[in-house]
Formats: sequence, structure tokens, C-alpha cells
Amino acid sequence: MLKKISIILVAVSIIYACTSSEGEDTTSADNFDRGAMLINIADNIIIPAHQDFTNKLAALKGAGVNFTENPNQSNLDALRTSWYNAYKNWQHIEIFDIGKAEELQYKFFMNIYPLTVADVESNISSGNYDLNSSNNHDAQGFPALDYLLYGVADSDAEILAKYTTDLNSSNYKKYITDVLNQMDTKTQEVVSSWSSYRSEFVASTSNTATSAVNKIVNDFIFYYEKGLRANKVGIPAGIFSDNKLPEKVEAFYRKDISKELTLEALNSVIDYFNGKSYGSSTSRTGFSDYLLYLERQDLNESIVNQFNEAKIKINSLNNNFFNQVDDNNTEMIRAYDELQKAVVLLKVDMLQAFSINIDYVDGDGDG
Amino acid sequence: MKKVLLFLVMSAMFSLFYSCSDDENDNDVNNEVITPATYSFVRDGNSTVSYSGQTTRIEMAQELEGVLKDTSKSEEDLDGMFTNTGNKFSDASLNESTKNVRKKVAASKDFFSENATDGTAIKGDFDSWIAAQVNEVFNNWDNDASVGVPGKIQESGGGSTRYINSKGLEYNQAIIKSLIGGLMVDQILNNYLSPAVLDEATNRTDNDAGTLYVDSSGNVKDYTLMEHKWDEAFGYLYGLDNATAPELNKDKYLNKYLSRVEGDADFTGIADDIYNAFKLGRAAIVAKNYEVRDAQANILKEKISEIIGIRAVYYLQQGKNALSPNVQDSFHDLSEGFGFVYSLQFTRKPNSNEPYFTKSEVDGFISILSAGNGFWDISEDALETMSNTIASKFNFTVLQAGS
Repeated sequence: MLKKISIILVAVSIIYACTSSEGEDTTSADNFDRGAMLINIADNIIIPAHQDFTNKLAALKGAGVNFTENPNQSNLDALRTSWYNAYKNWQHIEIFDIGKAEELQYKFFMNIYPLTVADVESNISSGNYDLNSSNNHDAQGFPALDYLLYGVADSDAEILAKYTTDLNSSNYKKYITDVLNQMDTKTQEVVSSWSSYRSEFVASTSNTATSAVNKIVNDFIFYYEKGLRANKVGIPAGIFSDNKLPEKVEAFYRKDISKELTLEALNSVIDYFNGKSYGSSTSRTGFSDYLLYLERQDLNESIVNQFNEAKIKINSLNNNFFNQVDDNNTEMIRAYDELQKAVVLLKVDMLQAFSINIDYVDGDGDG
Repeated sequence: MKKVLLFLVMSAMFSLFYSCSDDENDNDVNNEVITPATYSFVRDGNSTVSYSGQTTRIEMAQELEGVLKDTSKSEEDLDGMFTNTGNKFSDASLNESTKNVRKKVAASKDFFSENATDGTAIKGDFDSWIAAQVNEVFNNWDNDASVGVPGKIQESGGGSTRYINSKGLEYNQAIIKSLIGGLMVDQILNNYLSPAVLDEATNRTDNDAGTLYVDSSGNVKDYTLMEHKWDEAFGYLYGLDNATAPELNKDKYLNKYLSRVEGDADFTGIADDIYNAFKLGRAAIVAKNYEVRDAQANILKEKISEIIGIRAVYYLQQGKNALSPNVQDSFHDLSEGFGFVYSLQFTRKPNSNEPYFTKSEVDGFISILSAGNGFWDISEDALETMSNTIASKFNFTVLQAGS
């Protein structure tokens, strides 16, 4: 008998060794109230954040109309201010790549950087372009406005000249208008979809590759890893290239807000993790609570602490990441390292605790 | 009844065990041939290992790879590198070499010595891709591509810009990935590891007697001709790498993709399996043990063919996953897949005279990939079916290869 058992054990272990790469089943092993978590995320985080962003974008669009109708210094200043307010707010939106946002690939029309200036300039000079073409994903959104409001010439007087005396001034103005309209159209579509999508979203509690729970958890980690860690810090610091690439920072032309945007993004990640309501100090059910339910206080604490370490490190950097990378990239890389430490906790440990499979792969970097 | 069951369990176990570890046999001691620690062989204090001709051809292929997207080059420039005519290489020693790449494409003894028809047709494919890269792609470099229109197209989200023909194919990828099969794999598996080459003329009696090779100028070499043939197989994989401690990813061709397959956790160990088989086979020639030699050649046929099969399925799957919502995001993967699929006709089943897929089967795959508007309207189903068809002939699954 003992022999037979050992034979079976050997056989099982061989089978296991042969098939261990084939993934796990998809049933949820715990009784955590995932529905309550989704309701909190929809009603107290996603919908209010989008509502606020809509307001900021309306203000931006209005300032754009004023500026293009009457391009003077005070209208330029007002447009810059509303651009900055909306850009900060955007840091709370990009992470929600689900539903209509995912279907439209909303973020591709809002914040792909670095901008390809050659495409922007050739669009303006020809006057003939399709902002829905993927060729133009990196020629619109906040980064295009960053360039048009700060980088299109060296001084404010010369920038204003682009919209007044330049031979192509009408095309320059039209480009601002078209970019703002594009941002507005896409945003309206995403925001209005939530009134019908909400019920589908909060009911999608199962543990499958396409359920809302699995997707938002994956999207959360993907955003943290790619949108925040890589795009804002790692790529400019040269982590993924042979040389540092300071010109790839966010808001490259405005220069002095790259740190602020990064901190805003990290704060939105932290609040989302904790289930904290948008724009208020109330916390309800979030990923953190899910970990506590699973008796993973240890992991929850590690994640919270690591987010704080990253925040402290980022806070110590220059407001202008271009200068930071240029002058002292070592500190930028240290900030990257602190952000990276949380990737492991989220992508390996938290996913394991939730029994959720990762749904994205890193590209193989083949040229 | 119980005994029958037990027997069934045990035989099932055996087959499982076998399928898990069939690459681990006879690497250590076999008929008194011992796998040496490194690919290093000496006679009278001199190294007997030589594959400079293979290194030269890989270097030529590297230079060609480097200019396939250089629009300052003409068709004549690119052809000149493919055929080594007109002093087109930046490295003068390559211009002076008597070797060239084109002559060794689809030129193995086993597959093409009596089938110049196919050999010529395949060389012609490369010629036409090179011509089309200049005439269709270079000439439309700054134009936006669309369905049926060659030019440039950017991947979504500010991704890479790709330069494609009217069907979405990057010819440069087709050329490079097809050369992996047409040059490296064909020469290794169907030429230098073949008994028809290793044992050609008096090679075996010379090797048994330790008779060294005398070249056409009358110079006595440090190796027997059979040893040299084996080294030439080795050189097509490791020609730019460190022979005694391979680092991998040292070229843009087979060495790079061995590194990629090794990096997939489902296949880790394949690099050692291949290096060990090359070492033991070479040691077997020194020991005059031809059974061990041919057993290692069979291992190499299986494992090196797998590199092509795995990467073909990998890129077809990556392409399939990227078809929607932005079809252009799939073009780069599908172009690489196109080349690896093309390379399948140069693979070699162990203990047989057959590739895993014949030329006509590969032509069938290529015509599916090229039908109508090509990658612009290929279906997920077509790519999935092709992936399954390919994987079914190998010892891996679509899932293992595709991730």
C-alpha cells in the first residue's frame, strides 16, 4: 500500500512539474464582499473624480476659446492656469482604464508623452490631420498643450506671436481648439457612460479574466508600474535605455511641475488603495480592506509603508525632473527604486493574496 | 485487474517522465565519450576548433541587418551586402572575403543539392524582399500607410513607427527572420550535422586514422575534415559568441533567438541542452564514436528546430492578441512571425530526412498571411489555427510558446 501511495505521489509530482505553468482555476476562494468594494470605488472614487475632471476640462476649454478668440498675455496666463489645474486632475483619471475608457483607449488621446513635435508642427502647417489616427496619439492631449503654451517659442512674446502675427497663426489657434475639442469629446463619452455602466461594473464580482474586480486590480497595478513608475520616473532616469532621457519627463515644456504631477499620481494610487473617497477624508472598502479581510495585515502594512517611502523620496527631488535627471540622476534612480519595491508587493504578493491572475505581459523589447 | 491498473499507471508515469526529461540522457558518460566542460579541443597543443567562415557570414548578415532601414541605401547597396559584390560593407575585411551570404541560403546538402529548383526559388524570395524594401518601403518612407498602401504607420499610444508594405509586412523583419532558417538553421541541421557531409568522401577513414585536413593551397590544418564540419555547424550558432562560455544574444539571428527561448521559463535549459550536444558530439568525433555523434546531431535537430517553431508560434500569438482594437499594433509581431514561419521549412525532424513543415506547407502558411490585404484583415481564427498546426508537430503547446 505504501508503495502504491508513493508511486502515486511521484506520478503526481511529475505531472505537476510538467504542467505547473498552465495557470489556476478562476473561482474566488474567499467570501470577501467584492460588491461592496466595487460600489465604493464606483460611487465614491471613479464617478466623483470624473465629475471633477469634467469641470476642470470645461474651464480649460472655455479658457481655450477665450485665448483663440483673443490671444493676449492675460488670456494665455488664464489658459495656462486652467491647463495646469486639469492636468493635475487628470492624474486621478488615467488609472481607470475600464468600460468606455478602455474601449475608446481614452488615455491615448489625453496624455501620451513625450510629444512628437514634428507631427504637431506638420499637422499645423498642413492643416490636414486626423486626431483619431494612432499616428497622432503622441501629437495631442495635455502634452500638445504643454508645447503649444510653453514650448512653441522661447519667450511669451514670441509664443503670442505664433497666435497673432505668424503666417500660420490661424492654424496654430485651430490646433489648440481641435485638441481641446478632442479631449472634451472623449471625456464626455467616458463620463456619460458611467450612468449606465455603473450597474454592470458593481455586479461584476466574479474571479474571471474579464470581471470588473480582476480588471481594476490589474489596471491599478499596470498604471502604477507603467503610467507612474516607468513613464514619470524610470524612463527619464534611463532605467530602460543605455542613457538617461531627461527630455522624456511629463510636462517637459512647462518644466517645473513634473514632480507635482508625479506626487499627485502617487496620492491618487494611495487613496484608491485605501478606498478613500475622492476629495474627502472618508475611507471605505478598498484593496487595503481586502488584504485585512484575508488577514494579510503584514502585506498591507508593507505596501502602505513602501508607498510612503516612495513619496518621501520623490518629495526630496527637484520640482523639475528634467533638471533632476540632468544634475543628479542618482537621486532620480533612488526614487525609481523605492517605487519599484512596491511593484513586487502588488504584482506578486497582493495578486497572490487575491488569487487574481496578471492579465498583461511586459513586451519583449524587440526592436 | 489491480496489477493491470498499476502497470498502466507505471507506463503512463514512464511516458511522463520520459517526456519531461528526454533531453537529459547521455550527456555525461556515453560509450566512454565524456562531455567536455567547454567547446575547446586541442591537438599537439594547438586548438583544432575553426569556424571563421561562419563568423564572417554572420558579420555580413549583421551589416545587412543594420542597413535594411537606412533609406540612403540603394537596392544595389543592399544586394551588394547580400551577395558581397561592389565593396558595400563598412568593414573592409568583409569586402575582401571570398564568402557571401546569398550562396549559402537554402543551400544545404540534404535539402537542396538535388533540388536547385527550390533553392533558387528561395534565394529569389530574398532578392525580391530586398528589392521591395527599397522600391515599396524606402520610396514611401514619409507617406502614411493604409490598407493596400505602403508607408509608415505608428503603433497606438505613441508607440514605435513601422515601415510596411501594402499588406502590413515589414520586409526587413521578413528578411532577417527568414535568414535564421534559410542560412543558419539550414546550414547547421541539413548540411554540417548530416552524415552526408560529416562522412563525405574519406572523412571517416581520415578521422579514424587521425589524418589532418590539407586545404587546396596545400596547408596542413590542425583538424580532421570531419572535426571541421562539426565546428562549422557550431559556428553558425556561436560565431559571434564566446565558444567556451556562451553568453547568447550576441547577434541578431539564431544566437539571439536561442537567448529569447531560453528566457521563457517554459523552455529554460534549452541553451545548455544545445551547447552540451555540440560539445559531446565534437568529443565523440575525437573519440571516433559515430553513434554518439549522430545521437547528438539528433538532439540538435530537435532543439534547434524548436527555436524556430516556438518563436513562430510566439509571434503569431502576440500578433493575434494585438489585432484589436488597433490592427497596426500587430504588424511588427506578425512580420517577425512571417519570417519564423518561413524558416520552418529549414527545420529538421530527428532521425528523418524531413523538415517539420515542408516547403509547400510553409508556402500555404505564407499565402494565408499574405492573402487579400494581408495583416490588415487577417483573422484571429486564422492565426490561432496556424499556431495550433505548428505546435502540434512539436513537443510544446501554443500556451507555452505564446507567453
